[in-house]
Amino acid sequence: MAILNLQFDRICRSLLKGKMGSAMSNIPAIHFDDEWETELEERINEDGPWSSYSLFQLGMEAEKHNLIPDFTGLIGPRHLSGFTPLPHQLEAATEVIERMNGKAILADEVGLGKTIEAGLILKEYMIRGLARKILILVPASLVSQWGTELNQKFHIPACIYRKGYGWDGDILITSIDTAKREPHRSAILEQSYDLVIIDEAHKLKNNKTRNYEFVQKIQRKFCLLLTATPIQNKIEEIFYLVSLLKPGHLGSYSSFNERFSAKKRSTKDDSYLKELVNRVMIRNKRHETGIEWTSRKVESVFIEFSEKERALYDAVASFREALPEKLNTGFSSLILQREACSSREAVYFTLRNMLEKYPDASEAYKQKVHELIGKVEEVNVNSKAEKALELIKTINDKVIIFTEYRATQLYLQWFLKQNGITSVPFRGGFKRSKKDWMRELFEKQAQVLIATEAGGEGINLQFCHHIINFDLPWNPMRLEQRIGRIHRLGQTEDVRIYNFSIKETIEEHIMKILYEKIQLFERVVGELDDILTRLEVKNLEEHLTDILAKSKTEGEMKIKMDNLASMIEFAKRVKKEAPSSAASGNP
Amino acid sequence: MQQAEIHKFLSDFFHANHCEIIDKGPGHLVVQLTIEMDKELMNRPFYWHYLEKTGGVPNPMSLTLITDQKLAPEGLKGDFIHFGSPRLHQIFAVSKKLSRHIRLFEKINISNGQAPLFPWLCLNVNITYECDRKKDQLYSLGLNLINGTITEGFFDTMQSVSLTPKISDYTFTLSPIIRYQSGIVRLKNHIQTMIKNDNHSWAADATERWNKDLSLLNHFYEDKVEEERESYEAEKEALRLQYEPRIHVRIINGGLFYLTNNAI
Repeated sequence: MAILNLQFDRICRSLLKGKMGSAMSNIPAIHFDDEWETELEERINEDGPWSSYSLFQLGMEAEKHNLIPDFTGLIGPRHLSGFTPLPHQLEAATEVIERMNGKAILADEVGLGKTIEAGLILKEYMIRGLARKILILVPASLVSQWGTELNQKFHIPACIYRKGYGWDGDILITSIDTAKREPHRSAILEQSYDLVIIDEAHKLKNNKTRNYEFVQKIQRKFCLLLTATPIQNKIEEIFYLVSLLKPGHLGSYSSFNERFSAKKRSTKDDSYLKELVNRVMIRNKRHETGIEWTSRKVESVFIEFSEKERALYDAVASFREALPEKLNTGFSSLILQREACSSREAVYFTLRNMLEKYPDASEAYKQKVHELIGKVEEVNVNSKAEKALELIKTINDKVIIFTEYRATQLYLQWFLKQNGITSVPFRGGFKRSKKDWMRELFEKQAQVLIATEAGGEGINLQFCHHIINFDLPWNPMRLEQRIGRIHRLGQTEDVRIYNFSIKETIEEHIMKILYEKIQLFERVVGELDDILTRLEVKNLEEHLTDILAKSKTEGEMKIKMDNLASMIEFAKRVKKEAPSSAASGNP
Repeated sequence: MQQAEIHKFLSDFFHANHCEIIDKGPGHLVVQLTIEMDKELMNRPFYWHYLEKTGGVPNPMSLTLITDQKLAPEGLKGDFIHFGSPRLHQIFAVSKKLSRHIRLFEKINISNGQAPLFPWLCLNVNITYECDRKKDQLYSLGLNLINGTITEGFFDTMQSVSLTPKISDYTFTLSPIIRYQSGIVRLKNHIQTMIKNDNHSWAADATERWNKDLSLLNHFYEDKVEEERESYEAEKEALRLQYEPRIHVRIINGGLFYLTNNAI
């Protein structure tokens, strides 16, 4: 390390010398282009050809129009037509270029137009000739959307990477999963990029992952990381994200840990960290943008099980006792309970898996599973689906149904078809072209889009303003992303959200405590980040699973859940009382 | 650039390049491209390659450009051209490419005797200051190749002089005393002096930003091991590329102007 410090010292000294020395020594190297001279000589020798005077003047006029008049200010917006960026987007772009020197985390809340901000910055650097070689890494589901936005809105000739075309193109968009695989990986690491943009960058919060290690190695001058949720669980996540962008900005890992780890951190450290992070992060919040937002209307819909559904639910709930020792984590039973609240198909699918996974399990176990399958077969109605159908008919407009389970998705598709409702499925695993196709079908032909969790991320469906949450995710961030798909800029109607839950099940607990008592729906994700960080709740989803799986009685569970809820409420109050420290954003 | 300005630029451009304007109005232009312009603008090298190989009849395309949708005929299909449209910037680039070198003579009417024309070397240059930010400055310089006078704003001065590509009757050109090559060197020296006299706090600021990031980087790698040396070096190089101040002087176009004694 001594060598490094020495080098640094030398640079500092030579700089100081430069500053105090004559004005002459301060001038950067001057590069002349010499091509013109040679060409002139050829023409003098050959007596031509010479350009016409009118072209000569047009050439100068063109040059004047391309001139960059100043180091600061945005030129890009003059190059746009048919769309005007919003004030907070223009501010963000200026801020990134002029204060953050082109390295920033764009962390606006979902739906405020992070893509637009990135496009503005990209455009500006391109017009200024500061960026030619550009790589854009986005989730597979967003690749073509980025392509369309950049080409149509910004007139940026960005290309989507296609097999066999290589990585030499100037502006390429691809998914990180493609990019990190050989032979692409090596090809990309050979290039030197002027600007790298990474969407959904919260996936890079862990420095041990292949994604992180790969991105770290990409040669780049400027870098934009886009995420709506810069911190999901732990304070370390922001350390890794910032270090990817600007190594050392938050210190080395050991110095960061010493100062900012949860146990030792003081309030003073906290606000210092916040300030440091804000130097590399833009975080616009809905209420600060001054834009009129359509509101969210949330409705809880409680549904009664039919007798046979209830029997199935009770049976899987008591399944825990029957499990062999090594499988008895409480976990499987919980999964089955959640599935029973969704569809019998979901339960059946898991049960089949359990049989296949443990072929040498005891006969008693197998028998128990078969008994449950028997209960599944007895169920002859899906009360939630009936309710959904009724609702869809009343709404008589586009509806998105979210479910966590593939089996439920398939069932709903069949069920709606039986009842004369057109629907299209949507999953994270779909190929890019299929996703686009499904989105298009939904917009133009089908009334309902049925999406699984993975499909919730990264597709814009503003033309729709009704969401049915057929079952609820336990991670509120995921819920926010679901809603964010339609409640974003460009949404002209109020967004209606219907949350389904079955009475007297774990679903009702979750709904009542998390989503009603704390009003997670009306609240925006930024606030929630804040609160969770403050609480040091490592992972809300794990926490919930823990409570539900380990509680021996209904009463114990209720107490623990109430505790959690009041903790969150408490944090919320504290936050309100100290608005100054929270107003600056995350973390 | 206003839409009307764009319209005029396009019209002038195609006119200067001998393309027939088939139809025009205040909001649109329909242009029959020449073979040369088709090659420059339409990006179809395979077609032209194929045609030249087979000796077929060339069929250059026509181009419909709309500069004002309200004024253009209804239902007209074409490229909408605004300041950011790639087509306009392609045409800008072609304009620059085709106007690199010029030779012009002052046009005068002589009633008696003969008038000498003094040779001038003109350079229109773009001086770019670049670090993680960028700024351009445009200069037009003229050098009298007889007496070594250098004048700034040469291009603008020429706007009020009548110029022609063919020498007028009863005028003759004086042989330069300064050779073109050394003329270019003189102008380069002049440019260097102009740059030296300019304020370069932008470069000092950039270096300061660079150093700040560099010291953070050094701190980050302080407690790391030898294996990470490579990534340290790579990050350091990236910082240099990002911040290192540099100045580029690019010649936009220029050439020889033969002018009477009182033209400047």
